[in-house]
Amino acid sequence: MVPAVRIDDVTVNVKEGRSILDAAKMAGIWIPTLCHNPALKSEGTCRLCVVEAVGEEGRSLVTACNYPIHQDIAVSVAGDRATRAREGVMKLLLARSPESEELKDLAKKMGVNGTPYPSVTESQRSCILCGLCVVVCEEAIGVSAIGFAGKSVNRTVAAPFRQPSEDCIACGACAAVCPVGTIQVRIYEETGEAEISPFKSRKKLLVCNECGKNMVAEPVAAQMIDRVDFNWDEFRDLARICPDCRRKRAAKSLGYVDGLVSR
Amino acid sequence: MTKMQRPQDVDLWRKTIEEKKKSNIKTVRVCAGAGCSAKDSTDLYGLISNTVKEDAASTGSDESAEVISVGCHGLCAMGPIVVIQPDDVLYHGVQESDVEEIYRETIVGSRIIDRLLYEDPKTNEKAQNEESIPFYQSQKRIVLSEIGKIDPKEIEAYILTGGYRGLTKALGEMSPVDVVDEVEKSGLRGRGGAGFSTARKWRSCRLANADDKYVICNGDEGDPDAHSDRAIMEGNPHLVIEGLIIGGYAVGAGRGYIYVRNEYTVAVEYLNNAIKQANESGFLGEDILGSGFSFDIKISRGGGAFVSGESTAVIASLEGYAGEPRARFTRTVENGLRGMPTVLNNVETWANIPHIVNNGGDWLSKVGTDGSKGTKALSLEGDIRNAGVVEVPMGTPLRQIVDEIGGGIKNDRECKAVRTGGPSGGCIPATKFDIPVDFDEFTRLGSTMGSGGMLVFDEDSCMVNAARASLEFLRDESCGKCTSCREGTAQMHHILSRITTGDGTEGDVEALLELASLTADTSLCALGQTAANPVLSTIEHFRDEYQTHIAEKRCPAKECKGMFLFKIIAPACTGCTVCARNCPVDAIAGERKQLHVIDQDICTSCGACYEKCRFDAILKV
Repeated sequence: MVPAVRIDDVTVNVKEGRSILDAAKMAGIWIPTLCHNPALKSEGTCRLCVVEAVGEEGRSLVTACNYPIHQDIAVSVAGDRATRAREGVMKLLLARSPESEELKDLAKKMGVNGTPYPSVTESQRSCILCGLCVVVCEEAIGVSAIGFAGKSVNRTVAAPFRQPSEDCIACGACAAVCPVGTIQVRIYEETGEAEISPFKSRKKLLVCNECGKNMVAEPVAAQMIDRVDFNWDEFRDLARICPDCRRKRAAKSLGYVDGLVSR
Repeated sequence: MTKMQRPQDVDLWRKTIEEKKKSNIKTVRVCAGAGCSAKDSTDLYGLISNTVKEDAASTGSDESAEVISVGCHGLCAMGPIVVIQPDDVLYHGVQESDVEEIYRETIVGSRIIDRLLYEDPKTNEKAQNEESIPFYQSQKRIVLSEIGKIDPKEIEAYILTGGYRGLTKALGEMSPVDVVDEVEKSGLRGRGGAGFSTARKWRSCRLANADDKYVICNGDEGDPDAHSDRAIMEGNPHLVIEGLIIGGYAVGAGRGYIYVRNEYTVAVEYLNNAIKQANESGFLGEDILGSGFSFDIKISRGGGAFVSGESTAVIASLEGYAGEPRARFTRTVENGLRGMPTVLNNVETWANIPHIVNNGGDWLSKVGTDGSKGTKALSLEGDIRNAGVVEVPMGTPLRQIVDEIGGGIKNDRECKAVRTGGPSGGCIPATKFDIPVDFDEFTRLGSTMGSGGMLVFDEDSCMVNAARASLEFLRDESCGKCTSCREGTAQMHHILSRITTGDGTEGDVEALLELASLTADTSLCALGQTAANPVLSTIEHFRDEYQTHIAEKRCPAKECKGMFLFKIIAPACTGCTVCARNCPVDAIAGERKQLHVIDQDICTSCGACYEKCRFDAILKV
C-alpha cells in the first residue's frame, strides 16, 4: 500500500512507515527540525517539527520527524495551530540558549524574532538537550561514551560521573551532529591530542607514517580496522597514512610522476 | 504448604483453615498502614504481642489473644488504630502507655475503654466499631474490603476470605474469552488515571499475534497525594497477584511484572512473600491448578521518579533503560514490553479483577454511574479532618466525601477547593462540590481522576500558591527529555513565583494561558500534556485571586509571604513581650504590659510572632 499524504495543499504518495517529514520533503514543504538526523533514529525530543495531523480520532499535534505514516492522512504544516506551536517551542528554546547563532538563524528562517521569555533554565554552552549526540554515539558509533545525567531542568549530556570518558574514541560524531554548536573537537598540536569539548575526553591522534600530519584519533583508526572483515598487511599499513599520502602512493603505483599529482 | 493440583483443592484447603480457626480467643489487629506505622504502630504491635505472651507464660495458660499486624484501616489521621475482635472494638490514637489497660480491660476483661473510642466531632457521640463511625458509613469497600482485617503475610488468611476463588473459577469454568467478557460487562475503567476501558485493552492484547505477551501491574504511584495503591499492596498483596494471574490467563501472557517504587519497601517485601507463597501453593508456576496455563510474576523496583509511572516509561524501566517516556505511535497492547503485546494496568484495577470474576461483571456494574462503574479508592489529604484512604462508589458527590467521610475541614474552617489527580490534576472549587466522582465529570471541570489523590484546601489557602507548588513539583519531576515540558513547566513556575512574591505584572495571566496551552499541546508524554491543569483550573475558578496578587500586590488568602501585613491589635495584646523576643529582625517594639507595635519597614513577614503569640493578638491583614 502506498498511502497518500496531503500536506497543506500538496498531495504526495510515500512508502508505508515513512515519516511526515519525509513526505513533506517530497512535497517541497519545509519543516524546521533540530533533533532530527536522517541517519539516526528520531526521538522527537526538541518538539520543533510539530504539525497538525488530521486522523480518525480528530486533530492532534504530532512530531513530523518520527510520526509514521500507515494510511492516507492529511497534515497541516502552515495552519495556525501548528505554526503557533512551532513558534512557541522556538521561543522556549531561544530563552534557554540565547547565545546560539545556529538557533537564532533557524528562528529567523521561521520568522521568529526573539523570545518574550526570560532565561530560567541554564544550558551548558547553549545545549538544547536534543540528544542527537547521545543517539549517534550509541547507535552509529556503538560506544555510548555519553548519556544524560540529571533530570528536569538539571538534565545535561555528560560522560559517566562527569569525568573524561574512557570509552570515548574522540571520533567527533557528536560534534558533527550537534545542531547548536555545543560540542566541539579541539586539536592540541603540542601534545598531538584531540579533545571532545565539553566532555573533556582526550585521545592521542594518529600521526601519518609518511608526512607526520595529524590524522584521526588512534581509537577511531583501531575501530575502523576492527569493523572491516578483510585485514591484510597492506590495509593495515594504508590505515596508518593520511589520505593525501595514500593518494600520492596510489598515483606512484600507477606510474604517474610527482608533478602530475594534482595539488 | 501443599501444592494445589485441581480447582477443588482450594475449597478443601479453605475448609481445613476454617476448621483450624474455630477457637474463641480474641484477635487483636494492630494497624501497620503507612499513617499508623509513621506513628510507631510497629512498636505498639510488638508491645501488645509481648504482653499477651508474657502473661500467658507467667500464668502458664494459653495465650488469651492472637495479635496480628494488618494493613491500612484508612483512618490514618486518627492512628495508631487497634481493633479487637470479636466485637471489632476500634481504638484510635493508641499509645504504648495504653497497652496495659487495653490488655487488662478489653482483651482479658471484654470491657470497653471509652477514652480510646472514636468520638464524632459534631455530635460528641462515641462509636464502638467501624460500622458506627461516619467515616466508614458512606464508603463501599471492595478493593479495600479485607485490608485491615487480614494478615497480609499469610496466604491462609487470604484464602479464608475467599481468596483465589476468582482464579479457581476462571481456570476451572471459564475460557480466556469468557474472562474478558466478564470484565467488559463490569464496565471497569483503568484506575491509573486515563480511565481507559480495561476490557478493550485486554481484548486487543488477546487478539494481537505474538510469541510472548506480558501483563504489568503499575505500582509506581508517583502522585504525592495518593497512597491507596500502597495500602492495597501492603494490606492485601495476594489480591493484586490473583488479579494479575487472571489477567495473564485472559490475554494469554506467560509472565507478569509488578513495577513498584523502591520507597515502598513494605509493599515490595509483602509482594515478594506473597509471590513465594503463591508459587508454593500452586497458584503460580507451571500448569496452574491442572489447567495447563503457566504463569510467573517478577517484581521490578523503580527508582521512584514521578515520570516513571507513565506507561512508556514503566516499560523503558522494565527493559533496563532509564525510566523516561518514549515517543509512541502504536499502542502498548500491540507493541509494549520488548516490543510484545502488553497489558499495563495499575494496582487498583488489578485488585478489582478477582472480585469481578468471582461475583460476575454485572455485580460491579450495578455500582457507580453510567460512564464510571464500580468504586474508586481515594486518598484524602491536606486540611481535612479524617485524612486517610477511603473507597467510595463512583458517583458519590465530592461534598459527601469532604463533609461526611472526611469529617469536614480541620479547625472548623471552610473548604475552598480540592485538588484531584495530584500535582498534574486540577483544582475543583467548593462551589462545584456537587460533582460526582466520575472520570468524565472530573475531566469536564478541567481536572483528572488521576490515581485518586484528593488534596483539600481550606479557606486560608492561596490558590495561586497552590498552582505554583504544583508547577514546582512538575518542573522538578519532568524528566527533561522534551523541550515543551522541561522549558514550559519552568517558565510557568517562574511566572507563578513572581506573582506569589509580589512581582506579578499585567499580562502574566495571559502569558500563563499561552504557555499552558503550548506545553499541553506539544509535550511528548502525559506529564507535560497535563502540566497545564493546575494553572488552567486555578485561573478558571480563581482568576480574582490572580488579579489581586498582580494588581494590588496582596494575597487575599494571606498565605504568600510579603503580600500581607502582620499587625498587633490593641485589646488582645497583653504586652507579654514574647513576640518582640522572638522577632529575628527586631521589628517589634513595646514595653512590658504595654501594646506592642510592628515596624512594617523592618518586618520580613517571617511569621515568627504570629506563631508565638498566645493571645491571638497578631492578625494577618
